[in-house]
Amino acid sequence: MCISLFDMFLIFLILVKGISVNAYDTPNDDGSSVTVSWESDIPYSSILILRSEQKDGVFEPICEARVGRNDYQDTLIVRGTFYYYQIKAMTDEGEIISAITGPTVASVQVFNTGRLNIFVAIIILFAAILFYISRAKREKLFIRKIPALAAMDEAIGRATEMGKPVLYVPGIMDIDDPQTIASMSILAKVAEKTAAYGTTLYVPTARAMAMSMAQQVVKEAATKVGRPDWYIADNIRYLTDDQFGYVSGVDGIMLREKPATNFYLGVFYAESLILAETGHSTGAIQIAGTAMPDQLPFFVAACDYTLLGEELYAASAYLSQEPVQLGSLKGQDLGKLIFIFVILAGVIAGIVGFQGFYNLFISVH
Amino acid sequence: MKRTLPLTIVLGCGIFMLIAFFVPVRWFQDASQTLQTWYLGVIAFFVFIGIFNLVRINVLKIQHKRRDWQFSIFLLIFLAGMLLAGFIGGPDGTVFLYLFQHFQIPLSATMFSLLAFFVASAAFRAFRARNPEATLLLIAAVLVMIGRVPIGVWIWKGFPSLVEWIMSVPNTAAKRGIIFGIDLGLISMALRVILGIERSYMGGKD
Amino acid sequence: MHFFDRIAKIDRRIIFLLIGLAVIIPLIAPLGLPVDITAPVKSVYDRIEAMPEGSIVVVSIDYDPGSEAELYPATLAFLDHCFRKNHKVYMMGLWAPGITLGNIAFQEIAPKYNKEYGIDYINVGYKPGGAVMLLTLGRNVADVVATDYQGLPIDSFPLGRMVKNSRDMDLVMTFSAGDPGILHWIIYFNARFGTPIAGATTAISAPRQYPYLSSGQLLGLLGGLKGAAEYETLVGRVDRATAGMDSQSIAHVVIVLFIIMGNIILVWEHRRKK
Repeated sequence: MCISLFDMFLIFLILVKGISVNAYDTPNDDGSSVTVSWESDIPYSSILILRSEQKDGVFEPICEARVGRNDYQDTLIVRGTFYYYQIKAMTDEGEIISAITGPTVASVQVFNTGRLNIFVAIIILFAAILFYISRAKREKLFIRKIPALAAMDEAIGRATEMGKPVLYVPGIMDIDDPQTIASMSILAKVAEKTAAYGTTLYVPTARAMAMSMAQQVVKEAATKVGRPDWYIADNIRYLTDDQFGYVSGVDGIMLREKPATNFYLGVFYAESLILAETGHSTGAIQIAGTAMPDQLPFFVAACDYTLLGEELYAASAYLSQEPVQLGSLKGQDLGKLIFIFVILAGVIAGIVGFQGFYNLFISVH
Repeated sequence: MKRTLPLTIVLGCGIFMLIAFFVPVRWFQDASQTLQTWYLGVIAFFVFIGIFNLVRINVLKIQHKRRDWQFSIFLLIFLAGMLLAGFIGGPDGTVFLYLFQHFQIPLSATMFSLLAFFVASAAFRAFRARNPEATLLLIAAVLVMIGRVPIGVWIWKGFPSLVEWIMSVPNTAAKRGIIFGIDLGLISMALRVILGIERSYMGGKD
Repeated sequence: MHFFDRIAKIDRRIIFLLIGLAVIIPLIAPLGLPVDITAPVKSVYDRIEAMPEGSIVVVSIDYDPGSEAELYPATLAFLDHCFRKNHKVYMMGLWAPGITLGNIAFQEIAPKYNKEYGIDYINVGYKPGGAVMLLTLGRNVADVVATDYQGLPIDSFPLGRMVKNSRDMDLVMTFSAGDPGILHWIIYFNARFGTPIAGATTAISAPRQYPYLSSGQLLGLLGGLKGAAEYETLVGRVDRATAGMDSQSIAHVVIVLFIIMGNIILVWEHRRKK
């Protein structure tokens, strides 16, 4: 049979250009997949991935990959089995079949090396915190004054003198949020003081679990100061999960009950200014605290005192003055100092063009 | 025992979840998944507790004719109505959609729109140049407010670029610093909770 | 009483009235101010333009009716663009009320392009669980999505069968008003699986996303009603967001005037004390 010059040219093209395929154990997984990747010099309209357990066996199609993709994660494997892979691509010049790659077997990785940098950072931070916790047991550590927390006593005293209640808003998220937990820790201290003074405390919540926790915290605080009779469960109530439904309810409480002191401590979103402005209009003294960077400016503008970001997390340690808790604050500060030096090193590395330093902080999927 | 058991659970689960982040072994991942699924189940259960608490308080208010008890009637009627509409007709039901589109959406949007008024009154009252830092903040706020809206472009074509620079450079730098501090505080607090050093959220004696 | 004393003690309701007028009057008598396009919004637009036809875009409706005024116009403009480019839209939501809002958006846009449910777009409903759910979704969609929002088996829809894990998702576009939202997608989806994330958020939350824009973890951002207006301009759709720009412009000017007046009063009070 004669082959035309044109056909020979096409065959030459197919031999020179083509598809290269590679199969390897998917890194940092539980041994449940093999990754097949390919590169093609020729545009294709479809890619079929074929697999066999024998190099000279029958290759069965396992997946048709979408155009634009150049890898596929084969999760249809049996652990411990070796596989061979091949790619079949449909191009304008016809079907192209790649060489066979393999044998490849999936294996378990015990440690995700892609997160090694995170692991090291956590070890450093934990070491700093634990170091200062142990040091705090031996010597007194200095913690700067936090004005918002120092003003708590004065604020609650003001409410007591005026014969008005205290309103405590623990944020709008649930107890899985660390800010809510931090808020509950502060609520315990506020509840102790209001119970001791006999001042009414209202705690409206936006989540049912937060309500249960708040009820427990306030009840225990009342018992701790010898005033279990002061506790009224209905003063700690669930309003609604809906953000603006909740803020309507809290505004209603503020306008009806006219508390002399408002605490806003926890997670807040757009409702922060609505709460703070309504509270201001009733003449209340307001202490706020949140780790939501977007809402801090609103609280700073509208409230008398504001706990900024990490001060909310530090509040419980600050109020208890327990050496061990204060030690963790110092450890956190040491961690911050370390990060500052790392940032400065990164800036210098970036200026001199040392890419290697930057690569240390890339997380691998 | 009353405090030891919860603290032990917190310690165990905290350390386990931390390890599961670094160990891709199937058993760890499945167990981690199960724990988190259990948490979702607990949340779902607590939704009923919340609704029960809401209904109980408002029923008592009506029974004892406390101040503004009439509004509690409305609350209970709408709560029941919305629940029934959702259960009977589903999320695409006519009644549910009508209530959602003509009550829920406008009411929520109305509350959100209060922000516009409160921003104005807060700006008038609190945005004062009392010291150099406040003055700097004030100037940045005015530039961003004008530059981010079409009238800024109309006043000066360079406004959007200036505002983008303020957002991309000083704002980003400040936000990064704040976020770093917050996240470090979060890690420290989480470690205190896991190790049982931080216990006041549980109430009771320390 | 001195004039500045009167202004200093002005009733808040007068401030509210002036703001109300600043918003209402331009709605009645539009100024027609041009909307400039910023880089973060253009990035989203360019990405949709560049993706090949048939790409799968996951649209996550993570807002409730409170944020509908800012984010719903952005949702409409984005869906319009996706359907015009014949991309497939896989909708879900991390917030329960978002699903109904998403469906309303589909009802408005899909018929315009003769798009068919289950083939060109699908709504798989509200998915609770935040971080846990996203991690599971990226590994294996079937572990999270068994049915669409109506309760019909997901495998009964061609589009439902196409999306098996994060590698089948070409872009995630989240319309986010808070938590869970953009940050969850960035931290638990982009960081874990590498899927590009773009977002639309309320104006209050927009500044917080700039560090992620700068680091490349967030591909693009539509910030507030202005971002929605920019996207409407890019896709050639004059709608609510564009109409609201005149009002927003005048309201901002009025607020700046209040700030200036407040500082004039401050200076006057200082001088009076001296």
